[in-house]
Amino acid sequence: MTVARLKSISAFDGAQFASTEGVAIRELDGMGIATVLARKGQSSALAARLRGRYGMELPNGPKLTNANGITLLGQGPGTWLALREGGGNEFALSLRDAIGGLASVADQSDGLAVVQVSGARVREALCKLFAVDLDARAFQVGDVAATPAGHVGATLWRVEDAQGCASFGIAVHRSFAASFRDHLVEAAR
Amino acid sequence: MSAYRLQQGGLVDRRQPLTFRFDGREMQGYTGDTLASALLGSGVRLVGRSFKYHRPRGILTAGSEEPNALVELRTGARREPNTRATTIELFDGLEASSQNRWPSLAFDLGAVNSLLSPFFVAGFYYKTFMWPAAMWEKLYEPLIRRAAGLGKASTEPDPDSYERAHAFCDVLVVGAGPAGLAAALGAGRSGARVILCDEDFLPGGRLNSDRREIDGIIGAQWAREAAAELAAMPNVRLLTRTSVFGVYDGNTYGAIERVSDHLPVPSAHQPRQRYWKIVARRSIVAAGAIERPIAFGGNDRPGVMMSSAVRTYLNRFGVAAGHRAAVFTATDDGWKTAIDLADAGVSVEAIVDARNEVTASNKSAAKRIGARLVAGGRVIETTGGLSGVTVKDGSELVQLSVDLLAVSGGWNPTMALSTHIGGRPRWRPELSAFVAGEALPPGMALVGAAAGSLGLADALREGEAAGAAAAESTGFKAATPTPCRADDEQTGVAAFWHVAESRGKAFVDFQHDVTAEDIALANREGYRSVELLKRYTTLGMATDQGKTSNVTGLAILASLTERSIPEVGTTVFRPPFSPVSLGALVGPHRGRALKPTRFTSGHAWATERGAIFVEAGQWMRAQWFPAPGENDWIESVNREVKAVRSGVGVCDVSTLGKIDIQGADAAMFLDRVYCNMFSTLAAGKVRYGLMLREDGMVFDDGTTAHIAPGRYVMSTTTANAAKVMQHLEHARQVTWPDLDVQVVSVTDQWSQYSLAGPDSRRVLERLLGGALDVGNEAFPYMACAEFTWRGVPARLFRISFSGELAYELAVPARYGDATIRAIMDAGEEWKIVPYGTEALGVMRIEKGHVAGNELNGQTTAADLGLGRMMSTKKDFIGRILSQRPGLMAPDRPALVGLKPIDRAARLRAGAHFLPLGAEARMENDEGYVTSVAFSPMAGTWIGLGLLKNGPRRHGERVRAYDPVRNGDIEVEIVPPVFVDPEGARLKG
Repeated sequence: MTVARLKSISAFDGAQFASTEGVAIRELDGMGIATVLARKGQSSALAARLRGRYGMELPNGPKLTNANGITLLGQGPGTWLALREGGGNEFALSLRDAIGGLASVADQSDGLAVVQVSGARVREALCKLFAVDLDARAFQVGDVAATPAGHVGATLWRVEDAQGCASFGIAVHRSFAASFRDHLVEAAR
Repeated sequence: MSAYRLQQGGLVDRRQPLTFRFDGREMQGYTGDTLASALLGSGVRLVGRSFKYHRPRGILTAGSEEPNALVELRTGARREPNTRATTIELFDGLEASSQNRWPSLAFDLGAVNSLLSPFFVAGFYYKTFMWPAAMWEKLYEPLIRRAAGLGKASTEPDPDSYERAHAFCDVLVVGAGPAGLAAALGAGRSGARVILCDEDFLPGGRLNSDRREIDGIIGAQWAREAAAELAAMPNVRLLTRTSVFGVYDGNTYGAIERVSDHLPVPSAHQPRQRYWKIVARRSIVAAGAIERPIAFGGNDRPGVMMSSAVRTYLNRFGVAAGHRAAVFTATDDGWKTAIDLADAGVSVEAIVDARNEVTASNKSAAKRIGARLVAGGRVIETTGGLSGVTVKDGSELVQLSVDLLAVSGGWNPTMALSTHIGGRPRWRPELSAFVAGEALPPGMALVGAAAGSLGLADALREGEAAGAAAAESTGFKAATPTPCRADDEQTGVAAFWHVAESRGKAFVDFQHDVTAEDIALANREGYRSVELLKRYTTLGMATDQGKTSNVTGLAILASLTERSIPEVGTTVFRPPFSPVSLGALVGPHRGRALKPTRFTSGHAWATERGAIFVEAGQWMRAQWFPAPGENDWIESVNREVKAVRSGVGVCDVSTLGKIDIQGADAAMFLDRVYCNMFSTLAAGKVRYGLMLREDGMVFDDGTTAHIAPGRYVMSTTTANAAKVMQHLEHARQVTWPDLDVQVVSVTDQWSQYSLAGPDSRRVLERLLGGALDVGNEAFPYMACAEFTWRGVPARLFRISFSGELAYELAVPARYGDATIRAIMDAGEEWKIVPYGTEALGVMRIEKGHVAGNELNGQTTAADLGLGRMMSTKKDFIGRILSQRPGLMAPDRPALVGLKPIDRAARLRAGAHFLPLGAEARMENDEGYVTSVAFSPMAGTWIGLGLLKNGPRRHGERVRAYDPVRNGDIEVEIVPPVFVDPEGARLKG
């Protein structure tokens, strides 16, 4: 009996997102993702710990911060999503070591499907999924929204422009990936 | 070309002819035409038959208010009934047909209704079909439904797609006529985000229809330049073919963009229509005004047309709607039509002005164009289709031979949007019209004709000022206004509604065939409130929502009851302003996309295995896995159950809700949300938990594992996962905000498989390869552990739903596919069998485990035989109300097992229990069968049910009576555990 490592299949299973003019969609696989829920009365201690350990600020409100490869997205009061590119399931464990006691940490590296969407027509596509004002002045780099994408619950955030075009991250629960992909691809056409 | 299309002039492109068919006849129009203008240009005047009397009808207007010219557009799956010819943009190959006629438009048998018209008066349905009441459902209603309605919708699935989109702006401008264009320019030049919507395909509104000048430029040209300037602004979105149909709370507006309605077939990936939800900080309604008809005898004949529409066909489309015209007017606007017609070479026989006083300039205009002037005149009758009109000139009756009668009865400002969230219109006597009231939707302003300012100069000035003001109020600096100069005009109007001396039917509501006499009759019968009048006569209740008829109907009722119009009432508009197709509202969410579908990581594998899937909420779950040669589901399910009970099976249980619970007070929190105790649960152990609702009924059940010190994982039923999550969040945030507890759903993080059966431990040992000691000592029943397996974090729970020795293995979802394949490999030696929800259901019934059928919101813990789980040592949600006398009653139906006396008989869930020999009446009802299954272990059908005093009646016989499926069998009441009642297998 072999004891080879189990084969990993990403949420979108390497599906090619039909590339359309002006909208580029890319799955971000292998990210370490964890929910960070502040323990009661520990938000400032948590902020101080994160500052000391990772040199990053804890976002207040629907904003994101990043430092040293880690991104924190504000999802709700006392609720954040922590992301680390390539972090895998180990990320949640290391985060728990770092902030356990000040926050409840739960691994979501497999629970969330994440895409990055960018391009000249990205807002035209996303306005068909999100009831959020995505204008450059209204939804700025670093803004976050916890909001439905069509009929699927999602977290949306705006990252630095890519090649002069607005760029957004979107996370949905993994079991909804196929439905979300269908809607997103249709909206991008 | 026909004699009706002018040689030149208008905004159609004569170099681009288009071919279309109406009632099978091939005709020609031009790019820039509507179907209505192309029909008129081709000499077609008879377009449809009216709703009730099947009277011949033509084209009354040139806009979305059209009540008469309703056609069936397109054919096959794209057939659309009741489409207004005035709003259809002509395309090459368009096919349309007339409605409500048989066998043909020219010869319509239904027109006999016109002869029977004394029977079709107001309140006709109520009077004729009242008695006997029993006839209503079977005879009258089907009869009325067949006779009523105009066109027929396609019954085929819509081949097109629809889109939903969201937009946000500082200033929304509704209407791209002169006022709207000026408003959009005023706001847009400041840098504010502006959305300008117009229902037409060509911006400009009346500027395209009238011969006007702005700043010395022809009006249509000015509009084109304004639209081009707006389109070039990056902060402005110009949406043509877009109707803003409704206003909603939160500064929200609904709009429909007809993206592809003007094309034969939408291009690839283009939707047919797009439903916009627009959130606008300010809105400017510049929707213009609708010209109203006058009620006079025979005012519905083809050839009788609104005066402004006559000018639109003439000036915009280059079509003379007739060769010999007369004008019947109560306004100065009607005179413009007479002059334009004459200038285009149409003979104007007469101008009948209902006003006694005619201005000097109008008098000289009549003279210049050689038209007979009838001041204080009335049209009382029309003949033919159309061939003549009878005019009352003082005491004299004059016959005029004309084929076109232009009617101008004044203007009703289009202020519908101002009333959608509660505003009431206000009567302006000097305009004889309703305008928007004081209380407007937040951020809304009305300008131009929509605000009752009928002159072009006023519209431009108000539009620009409102645009600048809206921009300023949203934080932008508006440029200094550059007022546009318009040429002078007269906008006089008199209140004139109805020709009392009419001969023949004088129509008020053309689409619903409501006449002035119907209103008089309603008044005589006591229906004097405007709301009753509307419902009794159906005035204003057609698809045009009374755009051309409501105010006239109100005015006639006011005159009959000798009250003023505002005393009689107002008309309030509700959304939508114009019809909205359901497809656009549904958008992409149709068919399988109605709701999102959720898949487990094992789905692809199960599909490969030929699984039959079932929808469980949004999830797709494997229901059973047919083996080669199996034709009946019950064969497969029996095989799966037997395999689990005698060997080993595997089932994907990833869909069950999983909630991560942490925090210093997590154990206390669990004590409060479950009715049984959890604070005594040691780390590394799992416990079954029962949750009650606040009202004392059972809410959900599942297990919670103390997976590591201070960290818990709760499982819920698949059906209640989201509800339990909400419940916990509410308890945590609202009920006990003082507790230190955090909860988050981790349902999607983990793929979870249940390995069940006497051989499950052997398979697991092979699978894990020493990663965890799963021996009975090290890992007893109700143990749990976190460990690393093949480099991935995994969890194992020794829990069982089937009653067999069983484990649930959880791995991160990305490894779910590999894990089920590895389980199948490891189990090969023991002939492991995958099983689905049906086998799972059979086994839980065999074990008497309750599920959704029993956890139905009407059962208590005691009803389900779980009363002893309710702790007396602590408080919990539902404790107090579970002690209500009704819930404590000893004879409440409670859980029992059932077996048919005739071992071959089939049990049916839903059958009711009756004592043997008792009559099948409600008084004798003793409960019902909740779940049934064929038990391959027992070799018979078995069931669970809720029976009065059930637990004390084991061994008794009752009737299971099922009148719905003609079932009536005798059953034996037994304990609700059919397999391994001691539970020895669990711990083996």
